[in-house]
Amino acid sequence: MDWLEFSRGPMFQVALLVFILGMVYRFLRVILMGWKKDYAPPRGSAAAGVVKTYVKGLGFLPFLPPKFPGTRHRPLTYIAGGMFHLGLFVVIFLSTPHVEAWRSVLGFGWPTAPTPLVDGFAAMAMIGMIILLSNRIVSPVGRMLTGLGEWLNWIVVFLPLLTGWVTYHHLFGMPYETLFTIHMLTVDWLLIWIPFSRISHFMTYFITRTVHGARFGRLGVEP
Amino acid sequence: MTEKTIYESMVERGLSRRDFLKLATLMTAALGLEYSQLPKVVHAMESKPRLPVIWLEFQDCAGCSEALTRSHDPYLTKLLFNDISVDYHETLFAAAGKQAEENKEKIMDEYEGQFVLVVEGSIPTKDNGVYCTIGGRSAIDLLEEAASKAMAIISVGTCASYGGLPHANPNPTGAVGVHDLVKDKPIIHVPGCPPIPEVITNTIAHVVLLGEIPELDSLGRPKAFYGQTVHDRCPRRPFYERGQFAESYDDAGAKAGWCLYKLGCKGPTTYSACATIKWNEGVSFPVQSNHPCLGCTEPDFWDGGGFYKSLAAPPGAEAARGAQAGFASLGGAALAVGSALYAKKVKQKAAEEFKAQKKKEA
Repeated sequence: MDWLEFSRGPMFQVALLVFILGMVYRFLRVILMGWKKDYAPPRGSAAAGVVKTYVKGLGFLPFLPPKFPGTRHRPLTYIAGGMFHLGLFVVIFLSTPHVEAWRSVLGFGWPTAPTPLVDGFAAMAMIGMIILLSNRIVSPVGRMLTGLGEWLNWIVVFLPLLTGWVTYHHLFGMPYETLFTIHMLTVDWLLIWIPFSRISHFMTYFITRTVHGARFGRLGVEP
Repeated sequence: MTEKTIYESMVERGLSRRDFLKLATLMTAALGLEYSQLPKVVHAMESKPRLPVIWLEFQDCAGCSEALTRSHDPYLTKLLFNDISVDYHETLFAAAGKQAEENKEKIMDEYEGQFVLVVEGSIPTKDNGVYCTIGGRSAIDLLEEAASKAMAIISVGTCASYGGLPHANPNPTGAVGVHDLVKDKPIIHVPGCPPIPEVITNTIAHVVLLGEIPELDSLGRPKAFYGQTVHDRCPRRPFYERGQFAESYDDAGAKAGWCLYKLGCKGPTTYSACATIKWNEGVSFPVQSNHPCLGCTEPDFWDGGGFYKSLAAPPGAEAARGAQAGFASLGGAALAVGSALYAKKVKQKAAEEFKAQKKKEA
């Protein structure tokens, strides 16, 4: 077994299992903490609150102009964060090799975006990440708020993006298998790392939104 | 068998000096050498005696030999059979049995340390090699004898190079490639299932003519023919770059010649000159004929996870992966429930202790 086969085969499988086990654990552990019963009579619909919060969180907030109240104090973080998240979403869910990987893992696939478009979004994600990192390094507050885990998060997410780009376009004259192996190893490491890190907010975000949306809806206030 | 040089034997057959130089030029190009190397080739053909080639077949389908006979380069094929002498080849041989074996022994002794050994097929090692015997002798035995006397070995085909199909899981005969058994001789790998005929002839010609081993890559393959991937030189490459992929073998994309990456093409990880030299007199090659590359020049390509599975898809059985994922989910759930129950217990205990403390204080 060579390195490529190892990184795509057993190592990927182990990483996937750690990821699944870890995320199921984290999801249920949060839910099982439970919350206090609210004895007050509801002033609004909890379900409507949930719907509203998602519309707002995913459909409205990301598209505000950077000077809008609430984002104007840190437009850089807002814009770069948006670039990163949108870019990453397109790369993971719409690029051809990734949809093929999803098809193999899930048993079904979906249409893919044209390569130049995915390229654009990948570049956008990486540029966004570089801006965010620079900001963190330059800003004294950013530095104080950033622990070892956060620095590692950046590296662990950035490497698969970069190596994936280099692999797809056969850059630097390196053999494709070498690049592919490095890409897969970084992906394996990312999968293992996610449940132990704040990157797991890709899932916990939805728990938070749902719970808060429901609570706010019940209280009859805008979520 | 004579001690004549290649040039002398050509002159004897009525070829002129001009013909000879023409052939030498063609040879230089065919060997993947630069034009500046022409004098070296001419000198070698003028000065070196014809060296015998012994071709052994073990666990094979003779497909590589079939490919050899279909080489479309007439100069090289003629050269190989007229001027370089293939003195022992079980499939192409008219003679058979004891006579043929005796002839082989004679050549091996007469040209010890000078002849080139070509091996086709893998060698079974399980149960003392009983799964492949010729004239009552095992393949291991025959290979060891021939290898010890050869100048160099050329493993033709993926079986001889890496074990190939017989080596594929579960490998019932314990098949291995030549380099797994022979450690003390230079070995050139010419993998492929079969290899491109011209790559076989050119590699043999290189070793026999120049008496040297061509430049090899990390897997022992001549760089001249295995220096680039199928994908690197693929005529469908622009479609890959644009993200235009055929989804099935007869959709509009396939008819328009779009990239076969989604249909399982292994071109990006397969080193071979298929897209440039092509097959059957340069007519076509698999990808051009609307079939994905299987990756036949790479080790263990049979066990690579499926010919029609995309390169991006992780190898291994989907069902087993699904089952394991199910167990991992259950494991995660059990861990969460367990830790939640434990936390609840700790909390209850703390509450009770707190109550008891309060009571005491009161």
